[in-house]
Amino acid sequence: MTGLGDELRLLRHGRGWRGQARVPRSAQRWKLPDNGDDFPTAWARTTPAKVLRTALQQGVLKPVIWSQTRPVVHGREYLDSVRGPAIFVANHSSHLDTPLILGALPRRITENLAVGAAADYFFDSRAIAAATTLLFNAFPVDRRGLRRGRSLAAELVDGGWSLLLYPEGGRTVDGWLTAFKLGAAQLCAMKEVPAVPIALRGTFAAMPRGRRWPRPGRPRVTVRIGRPLRIGADETVPEFRTRLVRAVATLWAEGDLGWYRALRAAADDSLALPIGSRSVLPTTASVQLAEDHDMAPWRRIWEATRPPADDGPRQVWTD
Amino acid sequence: MGRPGFVLDVDERTPPLLMHEGEGFRLERLPLGSRVIYPPESLPSIVDLEGAIRHALAHPHGSDPLPQLLRRGMRLTIVFDDLSLPLPPMRTPDVRQRVIEQVLELAAAAGVDDVELIAANSLHRRMTPAELKRTVGERVFRAFHPDHLRNHDAENPDDLTHLGTTPHGEDVEINRRAAESDLIVYVNITLTAMNGGSKSVSVGLASYASLRHHHNVHTLRHSRSFNDPPNSAMHHSYDRMADVIGGYVPVFTIETTLNNEPFPAALRFLTRREWEWNLTDQASYLAVKRSNDLATTRLRRRIWQATEAPYGVTGVHAGAPSQVHPHTLAAVHRQQLTEVQGQADVAIFGLPYICPYNVNSIMNPILVMSLGLGYFFNLYRGKPIVRQGGVAIFYHPVPHQFHPVHHPSYIDFYELLAETTDPVMLETKYEKQFATDPWYTHLYRTSYAYHGVHPFYMWYWGAHAMQHLDDVIFVGGNRSTTARLGFRAASSLADALELARDIVGRNPQISYLHAPPMVLADVR
Repeated sequence: MTGLGDELRLLRHGRGWRGQARVPRSAQRWKLPDNGDDFPTAWARTTPAKVLRTALQQGVLKPVIWSQTRPVVHGREYLDSVRGPAIFVANHSSHLDTPLILGALPRRITENLAVGAAADYFFDSRAIAAATTLLFNAFPVDRRGLRRGRSLAAELVDGGWSLLLYPEGGRTVDGWLTAFKLGAAQLCAMKEVPAVPIALRGTFAAMPRGRRWPRPGRPRVTVRIGRPLRIGADETVPEFRTRLVRAVATLWAEGDLGWYRALRAAADDSLALPIGSRSVLPTTASVQLAEDHDMAPWRRIWEATRPPADDGPRQVWTD
Repeated sequence: MGRPGFVLDVDERTPPLLMHEGEGFRLERLPLGSRVIYPPESLPSIVDLEGAIRHALAHPHGSDPLPQLLRRGMRLTIVFDDLSLPLPPMRTPDVRQRVIEQVLELAAAAGVDDVELIAANSLHRRMTPAELKRTVGERVFRAFHPDHLRNHDAENPDDLTHLGTTPHGEDVEINRRAAESDLIVYVNITLTAMNGGSKSVSVGLASYASLRHHHNVHTLRHSRSFNDPPNSAMHHSYDRMADVIGGYVPVFTIETTLNNEPFPAALRFLTRREWEWNLTDQASYLAVKRSNDLATTRLRRRIWQATEAPYGVTGVHAGAPSQVHPHTLAAVHRQQLTEVQGQADVAIFGLPYICPYNVNSIMNPILVMSLGLGYFFNLYRGKPIVRQGGVAIFYHPVPHQFHPVHHPSYIDFYELLAETTDPVMLETKYEKQFATDPWYTHLYRTSYAYHGVHPFYMWYWGAHAMQHLDDVIFVGGNRSTTARLGFRAASSLADALELARDIVGRNPQISYLHAPPMVLADVR
């Protein structure tokens, strides 16, 4: 007979403070339907919550992240022209990504920024949902299209909030860039707001899926912010999405090719872009590698975790 | 409408899962990547059950309506499933009572005087008057007991009649009163796909001379599984016998099916998917588990045996047995079938406190074996959930306890296992001796004992699994009783997997059949 303590520990294993467990992935399809009682997030956009969040982000989150990693931020100057709501889109391979972006963006933007977070991951447990909502001003994003009704993202943009979205739909498993979903581009088209591309490098190596803390040694991570993009008058949503992917890929490639060569590669359409289920390293020193899509999983991870060249002044030419 | 059954892949999000282990239960963390076969959720029950029964009797399959079959001066025998169904016993009024009352209303209206009610207990123990009353209801009991409401006696030569043999040479000997009636009305509960159909009369009212043709090692090893009648040699034999019986006496059968509600509301957590347990479920789990663990063996058994299932009825079909049974099977499959892709190296089963033969009794080691390697292992269609040469892990304490009144021959049979556990050897050397032992026969007829041959049948029930599996391990099993059965005991799942490693390797594919509630794995 096991003791009460053991029994309680077993019972509480994997459950939140209110006793709820996350739904196993293979059971998601048979999840009980929500009865309209989605986790409320409006409270996190009130003035007291904003004040508390800013204090937490600037006083705790940023110092912790900046002490555990060596972030390098490029392109902050492009944000001067951003007035009013914008959609920030970034590649996503680590839980470090959001705190890094929040730390990299100016306060005038982060104070009015809401972060799209996977409803099935961050809003499964009420404790995690509450913490995520307070700290990041997160709102639930349905990755599977199961929820119906008006999108909260559109409402937030209407309310003057900028959004940070990860159009890949979740953290990638190997650090490579995967195809973008249409949602972010569609939102830009619908609300006529600019999209700001952001590329993150090094976060997968620093804290991939499965790690809860950055690896020791203050790994270097790079946040590259691009120029805001607006959908053209004759441009379709899928075309705009492709432009967004290319913009993120170009920023990604900057680390390897330098700014100008990355721009040239984008202009020549020689950057590898993710299509369908095909993920890519937008560029590496080896074009052949970037296009070798059948490589073994370990090699993909190997390439994605290759330490970046030492950072110095921003490179214009690499030769 | 309940959600269908499905196969869960255990991931890091999966909370510990519930396992039955006799008169207890526990939470267990399965290795990542294990598969868990969940039954479909309980289907809604028929709201107007009286109306459904009335409709079934008036619009039967392959038969005239029952009122047209009843006439003044006829001999009517109403036969009903005994206390082995359903499990746990259902909350009163039992659906058999509700059907029998309507049949008797029609018989009374038709002026039928000669009515006899017989429990189809075959070689099971007789039902006590209290158990009979609980099954058929107060009104029927008062009107017919004891003279015209009784148990079938498979050892009373005056009340048996040999109807002939099947083309395969199988003797068909059944209850004389039933065989010499103008009409048999059979009232059935089909809890699993093995119940009902041809089995009802040809087994429920049979004698040893008849039963030995299908309750034997050879037939059971070729019944794959006995919950899949088209692929069950045992059911083929039933069918042949039913054909012979049908030539002598018309049978009007009423088959009912149940939903997946075996536990009362206080034990709701036993039927809910673990990640959907709310605080109430968790508190119930903790409270029931602690109380259960702290209770004495006697009290614990009394409480479990007093549990009544709030089963709802999902279907009532009446008419000619061969015409009715496909509808019944379809209803059972709707409630219990879960599709599974491929077999595992290791199958895990949590065995509950009850099986068909320990209602108001004790589950002795032979019955544990029969429940595990017989009933649970055979809860499949197509292929077993574990591969040939795989390992089965059962959760049960396998206590060395016997009910001396209900299972006297089991006590002696247990001693035989010290000599051999080979079903063929036991069958060849000892079956007849036990089957014809006058003391066992006397106890079967006058006391409340299972027939002398019954423990052999229980052993044969697991013959297919014993042939299929390379090892059988009981987690938490009493070491000496488990060893006597020819199996191994382990103190934890980790130990069991360690024991199994020589056979299935370091990283076996594991499938856990999450039952009860009842699930039938449709293995592709």
